[in-house]
Amino acid sequence: MNYEPVLTARIGVVDPACLHDYEAHGGFQALARAVELGPDRTVAQVEAAKLLGRGGAAFPAGIKWRAVHNAEGPKFVVANADESEPGTFKDRILMEKDPYALIEAVILAGYATGAGKGFIYVRGEYPRAYQRLRQAVARCYEAGYLGKDILGSGHEFHLELRRGAGAYICGEETALFESIEGKRGYPRLKPPFPTEAGLFGRPTLINNVESLVSVLPIVLRGPDWFNSIGPANSPGPKLYSLSGRVRKPGLVEAPMGVTLRELIEAHGGGVSGSGEFQAALVGGAAGTFLGPDQLDTPLDFHSLAKMGAALGSGAVIVFDTSVDMMQVLERIAAFFAHESCGKCYPCQLGTMRQRDIIQRMVAGQGRPGDLQLLRDIGQTMRDASICGLGQTASSAILSAFELQLT
Amino acid sequence: MSDWITITIDGKEIQARRGELLTEAAARAGIHIPVFCSHPKLDPLGACRMCLVEMEGRRGKMLVTACTTPVNDGMVFYYNSERARDARQGTLEVILANHPLDCPICDKGGECDLQDQAMEHGPGKSHYWEPKRHKEKNYPLSDLIVLDQERCILCWRCIRYLDEWEDKPQLGLFHRGSDSVIDKFPGTELDAYTSGNIIDLCPVGALTNRLARFQFRPWVLEHTNSICTHCGMGCNLRIDTRDFRVRRNVARENMAVNDAWICDKGRFANGFLFSEKRLTQPLARIDGELQPISWPEAIQRVVEGLKGVVEKEGPGAVGGIGSAKLSNEANYLLGKFMRALVGTNNIDFREGSALKAERRGVTSLQDARDADLIVIMGADPSEEMPVLANFLKRAARRRNAPVIVIHPRRIELTKYPGVHFHPLPGDEPALFDALTKAALQARGQAVPNWLADAEVSDEVKEAATLLVNAQNPFIIYGTDYAWGYGSASIVQALTNWIVASGHGDRLGFLHSQANAVGAADVGLLPDMLPGHQRLADELARMELEKLWGSKIPTQPGLGYSGMIASALGRIKALYIMGADPVGEKSSYAEKLEALDFLVVQDLFLTETAKLADVVLPAASYVESNGTFTNTERRVQAAAQAARAVGDSLPDWAILMHIARRYAPDQADFWRTSSAPAVFAEITRAVPQYAGMSWESLGERGQPWAWDALEVTRELAPYAKLEPAPLEKPFTFRLITGNLLWDEGNTFAATERMANLGHKAAWLHPDDAAGLDLREGDLIAVRSREASLELPLHISSRIQPGTVFVPFSLKDAPVGELFDEFGPRTTVAVYRA
Repeated sequence: MNYEPVLTARIGVVDPACLHDYEAHGGFQALARAVELGPDRTVAQVEAAKLLGRGGAAFPAGIKWRAVHNAEGPKFVVANADESEPGTFKDRILMEKDPYALIEAVILAGYATGAGKGFIYVRGEYPRAYQRLRQAVARCYEAGYLGKDILGSGHEFHLELRRGAGAYICGEETALFESIEGKRGYPRLKPPFPTEAGLFGRPTLINNVESLVSVLPIVLRGPDWFNSIGPANSPGPKLYSLSGRVRKPGLVEAPMGVTLRELIEAHGGGVSGSGEFQAALVGGAAGTFLGPDQLDTPLDFHSLAKMGAALGSGAVIVFDTSVDMMQVLERIAAFFAHESCGKCYPCQLGTMRQRDIIQRMVAGQGRPGDLQLLRDIGQTMRDASICGLGQTASSAILSAFELQLT
Repeated sequence: MSDWITITIDGKEIQARRGELLTEAAARAGIHIPVFCSHPKLDPLGACRMCLVEMEGRRGKMLVTACTTPVNDGMVFYYNSERARDARQGTLEVILANHPLDCPICDKGGECDLQDQAMEHGPGKSHYWEPKRHKEKNYPLSDLIVLDQERCILCWRCIRYLDEWEDKPQLGLFHRGSDSVIDKFPGTELDAYTSGNIIDLCPVGALTNRLARFQFRPWVLEHTNSICTHCGMGCNLRIDTRDFRVRRNVARENMAVNDAWICDKGRFANGFLFSEKRLTQPLARIDGELQPISWPEAIQRVVEGLKGVVEKEGPGAVGGIGSAKLSNEANYLLGKFMRALVGTNNIDFREGSALKAERRGVTSLQDARDADLIVIMGADPSEEMPVLANFLKRAARRRNAPVIVIHPRRIELTKYPGVHFHPLPGDEPALFDALTKAALQARGQAVPNWLADAEVSDEVKEAATLLVNAQNPFIIYGTDYAWGYGSASIVQALTNWIVASGHGDRLGFLHSQANAVGAADVGLLPDMLPGHQRLADELARMELEKLWGSKIPTQPGLGYSGMIASALGRIKALYIMGADPVGEKSSYAEKLEALDFLVVQDLFLTETAKLADVVLPAASYVESNGTFTNTERRVQAAAQAARAVGDSLPDWAILMHIARRYAPDQADFWRTSSAPAVFAEITRAVPQYAGMSWESLGERGQPWAWDALEVTRELAPYAKLEPAPLEKPFTFRLITGNLLWDEGNTFAATERMANLGHKAAWLHPDDAAGLDLREGDLIAVRSREASLELPLHISSRIQPGTVFVPFSLKDAPVGELFDEFGPRTTVAVYRA
């Protein structure tokens, strides 16, 4: 517990509306440092830090940065701030309490990759984050952090905000592009990947809010510092959204790889409700359940992947023994049936059938073979869906049955 | 070619083209990967997930959709692996989980991709237990197409077709997840002219033909290869019949002509075939009334009637009018009969000698698809030839071909970037002169004196430069500029521009009638012999005389309007086949009434037929064999698909009977007893057709070569066009043209389509406001000749000062208005 927060250091300290306050607390120093380093060496820092994407997929950020850096312009930087995974609220707090950090990070990414334009796609249900960002963008234009010749670098960069309209699918990066382009948010086929053909068909760097904000200390303190935190293969500080039956729910910044037990007990003040831990849903609705036997699992990408789970966005929802898990599963199944976009068959029908079957089970009309049916649907969705939505729509439910939580 | 690479599927090495999709490569090797959303004519989507295969990747085997995966050398796939099979089976099972089991009454039953794939790849048994979801089962998308949302498997083919080919994204996916449905956008219509192609594309029975549904089981249908005769494109059709009656038309692929598409007129407008108004037996005027008679009697009367006139007035008193809608065989025999047996050159068709146009049509339809620049002059492909319009739209969108439009209306193609001019009738030559001058200047060539005064605007310069610099331009002009008063001047003026731009040999004409090229090929013209040989060409004449066994008169005959006008004079007998001059202009009636003898051969008792002495019931082209030559000179066979109505007979057979009776001593030259045999004779009369036969036309047809007819085009001055005077009260310039949804005989007979016709005269909003007229008001359009009353349509697609009256409006033929300035006259417009 002697970890000193970095990503959330300014939260509750600075006035989120005040650019000067941000500057007084280390703001725009990372950008200044990047301009000193030049684009190529800035990208090299991100590569060396081995930063894995914080949105959920854990893709190495450096690969994306390098690819877009090497691509011919025009190109774009997009911050994925459509934080829609149930149980996840880390990006919202970053944007509401420290909006300039995200803006600085996007400008820095634009400078490093040579993109002339950036977008922040903010979840529609985050009006306050949007307001704060909007005001901050305006201030940055006034102060010369946006526009022509940023910090004397000669680089021109413009930033626009876009608001989502409440669709979970629009957090999927290609659906998000479609949405920015003014079309209905359906996922695109990959390849081509965004770094080749992303927004408006141009090379695009798209990163989650936390990933972008993590780049600021990487540039300031160096990749070695970043690598000194957490496990070697998924290093760095991590934001965990802790909710559910804990005494002190909230945003937790900890070194990557904190154990579930430490998170609940040291940060969350222990299990509330019955006081007895039943399970935790890690990674949101698209994540997996961990049971009492898995409390000592380090919550980092690789440790969880090894056991067939995923850290995802870092959401941890805790359930005590008084919770009827079937109802939780019903809620999760209904969520996916509602949010499936309908583009591909396995997902649109699989999520519907999954919901119907679980509803039937909740109503006491389960049939022999239901579990196998759910597994088959899950496999079809995982193997055959276009995008992450369908591919993960069964993982939480199947893991709950696996742990015999019901 | 180095483009061939090797990939491995299930351990077997196969050759593939670099970059082609795995589905295509596999199909060539005999592995037919199942698909629903994928279609060779549409961009890959990857939505249905039916085509999953395993691919060897850097991080092990992964499932990929074969329909979206381009292949590269050395790639390794597993189609038959357990994981791939499971994934496909799982996908099919979820698709089937909600698909209704109404196959027994589904129009698609028996030709349904879902049925076939359930058979081949399905799990055999579903383990779903929940009830199927319910949606709209009878949801009309338009007057022509109905959607069954339960059957729909959301493959997006319909959405993509309308977007990618028609550039009219009129359908979309609505709602989310399993509630997703195909629908129109609120407040809009599905009215794309080729919308019916989505029925052919639909892999299941979700989209069905409202005119044909529930009338047959697909497996009982007989299929006959045919072509469409609604326009000059010659789209390939498959006509499906049962009990010798036409049940539906579907598109037949011919990459050189229509790809795999037909327009909605070609698909749906076949009601005329079984209209109750079809003529079923010969009629003759007895005691002043048309009364049924037998065929022998009818033929006897025709022979006697014509002979009587020839004996009394000489052969020059007889004339024959054919039709650009009828087959080569029909038109050829009419010409042969008139020339060889009657002994007159009075033969023509409506768009025949009057048309000041390129007889060769367009360079090729493929050129339209490959174009890097599109030039459209006085034609509206969207209305006259919708499938061609789709090719042009695609060239504009996908090849970034600029579109230069010169047309009195803002036609649909003006929505594409390029340069668009809308000269008023009479102002066209000045525009073309300016373009000619700018083209010459752009190419550094001398400008002749007679062009010195032409004013070159920036837009003119831009258009001229585009054409001069184009490598592969597709250049066409149309009937609007080539027919009627002043057309000779306009055509020379536009020819000058194209010649001056260095593309003289690419100038093509868009023939809007099915067999306009063919009718001229077979010589149904007063001054031309078959094969575009001049009547004055003695050698050509002698060859034909040998073939026909008779002398051919050397004096050029009268043309279409000349024959009708002379009905009050030296013409005493007319044989009119498939034409209806009175329907086009009622004042022709009094002229035709003055004839001693009138024969009309048609499908219907037209206004002209009502005046006839003998009416001969013709079989439609679907009920007989015949060949048609489209606007790219492609001779195509349309085989008989249905039984003739009543006692009607094919045109060629009627003419054959008449000829044998007319000149028994010549019977040796009139022995052919089938349409293919008549075609064989045509190939001997028309040099361009040499070597062709009914069999060799096959499924794709055979074009005659662009350079098989020498045409010289030169930059030349021309007679100044004196436009019709604008003088009170005739203060509007009339413009006319074809709209796809017309109200002509062959179209109006399809009841379901009756609502589609748009009977109106069009005015610009400024003019309507000036006259205090509102949409739908009844207005009078009056020329020096006649007046028409029509509802008003207000549209900014036409220019101020013009009034647009389309051809073929029911009870309001625009031809009534034509005076000495023909279709380019001036008219008065006022509230009726």
